Amino acid sequence: MRSNWKRTLLTLVAGSLVVSVAACSEEDPASTGVDLDGKKVAAMAEYKAGDQFKATEPLDVSLLYLDQAHYPMKEDWAIWKEISQRTNITLKPTVVPYSDYDQKRGLLISSGDAPTIISKTYPGQEAPFVSSGAILPVSDYLDLMPNFKAKIDKWKLQPELNTLRQEDGKFYLLPGVHENVWQDYTLAFRTDELQRLNLKAPKDWDEVYTVLKAIKAANPDSYPLSDRFEGKSILNYAGQTFGTQAGWGYNNATWNESEQKFDFTSATPEYKALIEYFRKLVAEGLMDPESFTQKDDAAIQKFASGMSFAISSNAQNIVNDYRPNVSKIAGATVAKIPLPAGPKGDVIRGTRLENGLMVSAKIAESDKFVATMQFIDWLWYSDEAQELVKWGVPGTTYEKDASGKRTLKPDVAFGGMNVGAAKNLQRDFGFQGGVFAYGGPTELLQSMFTEEELAFQKTMADKKVIALAPPAPLSEEERERATLWESPLKDLVTQSTLQFILGSRDISTWDAYVKELDAKGMTQFIDVVNGAHKRYKEKNG
Amino acid sequence: MVTTDPTALAARLDKPAGPRRTSLDDSRGYRIFRVVNVVVLLGVVVVTLYPFVNIVAQSFSSEVFIRTGQVNLVPRGFNFDTYRLVASDPVFWNSYLNTVLYTVTATAISIVLTTIYAYVLSKHKLKGRGLLVGIAVFTMFFNGGLIPNYVLVNGLGMTNTIWAIVLPNAISVFNLLVMKAFFESLPTELEEAAAIDGLNTYGILLKIVLPLSKAVLATMILFYAVANWNSWFQAFLYLDRADLFPVTVYLRNMIAGATSATSVGAVETNAVAISANIKAVTMVLTVLPIVVVYPFIQRYFVSGVMLGAVKQ
Repeated sequence: MRSNWKRTLLTLVAGSLVVSVAACSEEDPASTGVDLDGKKVAAMAEYKAGDQFKATEPLDVSLLYLDQAHYPMKEDWAIWKEISQRTNITLKPTVVPYSDYDQKRGLLISSGDAPTIISKTYPGQEAPFVSSGAILPVSDYLDLMPNFKAKIDKWKLQPELNTLRQEDGKFYLLPGVHENVWQDYTLAFRTDELQRLNLKAPKDWDEVYTVLKAIKAANPDSYPLSDRFEGKSILNYAGQTFGTQAGWGYNNATWNESEQKFDFTSATPEYKALIEYFRKLVAEGLMDPESFTQKDDAAIQKFASGMSFAISSNAQNIVNDYRPNVSKIAGATVAKIPLPAGPKGDVIRGTRLENGLMVSAKIAESDKFVATMQFIDWLWYSDEAQELVKWGVPGTTYEKDASGKRTLKPDVAFGGMNVGAAKNLQRDFGFQGGVFAYGGPTELLQSMFTEEELAFQKTMADKKVIALAPPAPLSEEERERATLWESPLKDLVTQSTLQFILGSRDISTWDAYVKELDAKGMTQFIDVVNGAHKRYKEKNG
Repeated sequence: MVTTDPTALAARLDKPAGPRRTSLDDSRGYRIFRVVNVVVLLGVVVVTLYPFVNIVAQSFSSEVFIRTGQVNLVPRGFNFDTYRLVASDPVFWNSYLNTVLYTVTATAISIVLTTIYAYVLSKHKLKGRGLLVGIAVFTMFFNGGLIPNYVLVNGLGMTNTIWAIVLPNAISVFNLLVMKAFFESLPTELEEAAAIDGLNTYGILLKIVLPLSKAVLATMILFYAVANWNSWFQAFLYLDRADLFPVTVYLRNMIAGATSATSVGAVETNAVAISANIKAVTMVLTVLPIVVVYPFIQRYFVSGVMLGAVKQ
């Protein structure tokens, strides 16, 4: 009896192992050939940039859809209807809540069950999936994507695109592309307080210091600057102008243009200068030490109750978070200041690539492969579709006058437009959603900006854009080794940056800190990156 | 009784002089303990209750007061509008209904399976009992991992159905063991008597054992119902359609989604922070049923677990 039970159990265990192994091996390695015979079902024979794509027979395409809590996905949205009417293709969304999108994406790809279009993927996030073969090397199939190619040529995006290349020289992500670099985050000030104290909006970081000092003198009990985003935003945009990368933009390797090699970011003099600047702000009581730890809500509370006078902001934060809440203080006004210039000059660093999408490698085996790629090209990269997903349907959600100026219909609200209208462009129609509407021509991007934001963008347009770092794609083995070094290094950097800024570690121990970095593999790491860069340069010129 | 045992003698000599205590109640140490106990527990009550009351207060307050940090225990700018707003959202109610459906179904399935399994395990004469216990306990320490689980559930065609939520993890091994211990504590004579009177195994379980097990059943229902009501991960893994999501996924997306958007520095052109009072209302409405049900089951809860824990 007992042995019978054991046998049953063993059979069960063995059986389940076979099932899971079989399931794992189901996915074939991606075909890299560009043989398209027999894969043109429903495809258009002649499809060029600017053409309206329409599948020659109805087709379903699955899509990994990121669901935002403030405009939950609805099946009766006009956007789904409009897309299938125009293209003869029906999107079948797999709805994944925003909160855990990355985890589910990883799970679906690893289990071989990913939808054809895997949307909302940021550059770099595709790397872990490359070696599995589950993701299509899209660079092999650009001939199927005339609109994408046209935008790359027109906006000269090749150098940016190269940063996506993996070690095999191919790229696996179809990024969102912008015509121009777009800087949104900067400092916002209580402008009424600046006026009261007869201060001008600061133009560089030295002036920021002076202005904060003047505010402190007038309000000795306050911290003039109490920041949100755990300080990662301000370190990011200030870092650019100091010639380094920090906060959200932190990257262990920074390109050194003059020496044509990568340096370890947080050991450079530029990074030290950035830290010293913020250390000074904290030490003199100009910046709230809690800026680096407090929750966003706490920072907004301080700003809204008049306990602080400056805070990091993007265009939406001003409208949604600050203005409505400071309105309790009589006469209070808030505005973004143009990004202050730094030691590196009046510059911004930025890439014109946005989050984009991956394509499941399985589709390359399908007879509908060509049609699917043409569809992706049309929906995400044609001018017409980019306008559709942003503004909706002419006559229904917006009107366009002879001069090309678009206005929302009076009963449709979005952002600061038509506040109080019965319907909302996102919630009730599905347009302007994060899965479809991003990137594109500057004219289209700015078509929904307020006058104030347009003026801000105009000052930003004069800034010099720092050249991008060249590609240094790691091989799989190198990536594994680099990951082992990178996390402890990054932890040490984050921790020490905070300690230096808050003054709990003296800046005179900087050399000791660099030695600590070295002990954690800084030099080996940067050697690997430089090696990869050299290899790429020799291979691709 | 006079004893010559040296340790007992020593113990008697060590005893402090003074009036003999007849019960623990009046001992000084115990009184101090009680005071300290009450103080510490009151502290725990305050610490656990404060955030809860704060959220309730926020749910009745207006946004500006919350944003400026003026809401603590009493609502400021009192209004019902947020409740009306959330209550008018069909997506919310749809999720809510799903949660009720999943919780009821999953709890029913779990109770039936756990009872049957535990009852079988409580019979010492059963052959292969050790193996059956082993199979259950094995899963407490080892599991197949996320991806194989997903492949399995997907392979069985359960994704995007209620079964993906209610069948995996239907038996909680911890609950199983508690129940097994409870059944073992029932006198075997009762069952023997029932058997002599002509009841078969199922009859004994249904007519004798279960009516005597109301305490442990109520406890198990509470355990399973709370766990199912609060669970979101299964739904997140196996459901791909928004109209199937339980309210926990809705809530999590609202709260975690709003904060993670900024923490990764995503350039989400229109990232609108969801108002703090809407979050609060959703939280209150989500926990309300469990909070309401809890006091009614709680009295079983204590006795149920205690009964199972001590073997006669």
